[in-house]
Amino acid sequence: MSGPTIDRRGLLGAGVAAAAAVGIAGQAMGQGAVIAPGVSKADLAAALKAMRAVVGDAWVAGDAESLRPWSKSYTPDPTGRHAPVGAVAPENVEQVQAILKIANQYRQPVWPVSTGKNMGYGSTTTAAPGQIILDLKRMNRILSVDTELCTALVEPGVTYQQMRDYLDEHNIPLWIDVPTVGPIVGPVGNTLDRGVGYTPYGEHFMVQCGMEVVMANGDILKTGMGSTKNPSAWQAFKWGYGPYLDGIFTQSNFGVVTKMGLWLMPAPPVYKPLVVRHKKMEDVARISDAMRPLRIAGIVPNVVLMMGAAYQLAMFHRRGEVTTKAAQVSDEEIATFAAQHDLGMWNTYIALYGTPAQVAESERIIRGAFAAIDGDVMTQEQMKDNPWFHHHATLMRGGLSLEEVGLARWKGAGGGLAWFAPVAPAKGSETQGQIDLAKQILARHGFDYTAAFAVGMRELHHIIALLYDKSDPAEEKRADDCYRELVTGFGDRGWCSYRTGVHAMDLVAAQYGETNRAVNAAIKQALDPNHILAPGKSGIA
Amino acid sequence: MRRWALLPLMLVAAPASAQTGQALGQTLAQRSPAKTYASICAYCHGHNVGPIILGRKLPVEYIQAMVRAGRNGMPAMRPTEISPAELDALATWISKAPKDIKEHGQ
Repeated sequence: MSGPTIDRRGLLGAGVAAAAAVGIAGQAMGQGAVIAPGVSKADLAAALKAMRAVVGDAWVAGDAESLRPWSKSYTPDPTGRHAPVGAVAPENVEQVQAILKIANQYRQPVWPVSTGKNMGYGSTTTAAPGQIILDLKRMNRILSVDTELCTALVEPGVTYQQMRDYLDEHNIPLWIDVPTVGPIVGPVGNTLDRGVGYTPYGEHFMVQCGMEVVMANGDILKTGMGSTKNPSAWQAFKWGYGPYLDGIFTQSNFGVVTKMGLWLMPAPPVYKPLVVRHKKMEDVARISDAMRPLRIAGIVPNVVLMMGAAYQLAMFHRRGEVTTKAAQVSDEEIATFAAQHDLGMWNTYIALYGTPAQVAESERIIRGAFAAIDGDVMTQEQMKDNPWFHHHATLMRGGLSLEEVGLARWKGAGGGLAWFAPVAPAKGSETQGQIDLAKQILARHGFDYTAAFAVGMRELHHIIALLYDKSDPAEEKRADDCYRELVTGFGDRGWCSYRTGVHAMDLVAAQYGETNRAVNAAIKQALDPNHILAPGKSGIA
Repeated sequence: MRRWALLPLMLVAAPASAQTGQALGQTLAQRSPAKTYASICAYCHGHNVGPIILGRKLPVEYIQAMVRAGRNGMPAMRPTEISPAELDALATWISKAPKDIKEHGQ
C-alpha cells in the first residue's frame, strides 16, 4: 500500500490538537465568527477569561485553531453566521451555574450542547451569531440504573455507547433505543431535540422521566417527582403535580438540562426483524394505510422506517455509481440500481419482540396485511448479509451504528447534509403530494430526492436528506436556498417540520404562527430576561 | 504464520482493553486506544463508510489533525469527546497498528 495522501486543506488544522490542549490562544475569536449584538470584543474576552477561572484553561477555546472541532457542521452556512466565538466545557452543575452567572454579567450568550453530534442539524454551531458553546460532554456520569423499574438517570455527556457498555459490563439485560448515529450521541441531547429511535421505545420524549434543569438565574429545578422530600419516584412517574414542565425544556432555550431520567426496555426473549419490499414509488400510499392500523393497535410495536431506495443507496454508494447526469437522479435509475442490490423502491423495516407465540401471531397478522398490497415480507434468513437489512436489524434492537454517516459522501467529498423533516398524519393520501412537491423543489436546485418516512403512532415524519457538496461554495448556497424553499413550500400546505437545523430555526418557527411565537417569547422573557441562553433556538430570541 | 500466532494473545487482551470500567456516579476514565478506536473510529473506518486506516502507518500528527478537523464527511471530534491524552495514545496506536483482517469496505 502506498503512503498516505496528505490533504493540504486538512493539514491547516495540524496544530489543532496542541492548541485545544492549552485552550485559548492570542486572539479571542473564532475564524469568520461574528460577535453577538450588544456585546463588545472586550466583554467577550472578559467573559472567556472569567470562564477559564471556573473550568481551567484547558477547557475553554476562543481562537480559530482551538475552536475548529466546534465549528464543523454539515448544514449550509454560506455567510458564516453560525460559527461559535468560543467554547467552555464544565464538569459539574456548580460550574454550569458559575458560567451562567458570567454570561449574565457580560450579556454574552451561551449555546448548550450535550454530546454535540446533532449531525445534519448543526452539531456545535449556533442559530444566532456570537455565542459561546456550553459543551456539556464532560458531564458524562451515569447516576443510577434501576434494574427493577428498568430506568436510568444520566448526565448530558453520556453517549449511547457508554450506556451500552455499562449495561453489558454489569450483565444487565436491558436494551437502549438509539437514533441512527448512536455511538457518539446520547439520550439527553437526542430527547431534548425530540429525536427518535427504532425499537418500541423509539419516541424518546415519551420514555423520558424527570429532569434537573439549571435556570438562567442559577436556580436548580427538578421536574416531576424530583423535588419531593423522597424523590424515589423521580424516574417512575413523569407528571408530578401541576403544569407539566419537562416539555418546555425540549427544543427550547429556557434552561440547561443537566440530568435526565429515561426508561429502558427489558431485552425480549425473541427479536425478529423483517423488511417489506415494494417495487414502485407510488406504493407509498398503500404502505402507509396498511401500516397505520398495525401501529395504532401495537401489532407493529416499533417506530417504523419506510426507506426510499435512493436514501438506502446513498448510505453505501456514491452518486456517480448510479447516474452520470448532473440533474436530479431519476426513479428509473434508482430502481435499476436498487434491484441489482436486492432492494425495493420502498423498504419498510419492522420488528417483533416478545415470546415465540406472541411474535408468531403478530407475524401472521402482518403477513396478511402486506400480502394484500403486494408486499414482499422478508426475514433475516432470506436477506442473508444484505448490508441495508443488517443496518436496520441493528437499529431495531437498539444496536450501535454510524453507517448513516456515509450519506455525507453521496454528492462528493464535501460532506454536506441537512435534514428536512415535515410531519403529516399517517394517511396514504398525505404521501404522494409531498413526494411530488419535494422532488420539484429539489430538482429546481439540482438535488436528489433521498428520503424516507418514519411512522410513529399516528403520524408520518417525511425525512428528506438534502445531500450536497459543502466544499463547493456555490452548491452550499444552493442547498441553503433549496432548504428555505422546502420549508416555505411545505409550510404553505401545512406540512411543517418537527425539528430543524440551526440554519432554518426562525423560518420553521414562522410556519407555526404568531401566537405560538408570542407565547414562547413571553416564557423566554420571564425565565431568561438577559437572553443569554441560546438565542435563536427554535426561533426564540 | 505470525498472524495466527498473535491470535491467542489478542483474545486474552481484548476484554480488558474493550471495557470502560465506568461505575455509577463516576465520569468516564481515560479509555485505552483500542477502546477509543472501537467506540468511535471503527464504526466507519473499515466498516463500509470511511477508509481503512489501520496498517497504513499514517503519521501521528496527521491522525491528530484529522480527528480534530473532521475532513470532508468525517465528523470533528472535540477534546471533550476524545481527550488530549486519549488522542495522543489513539494516534500512536493507529499509526503502529497492523492491518485488521476483519475490517472491510471503502
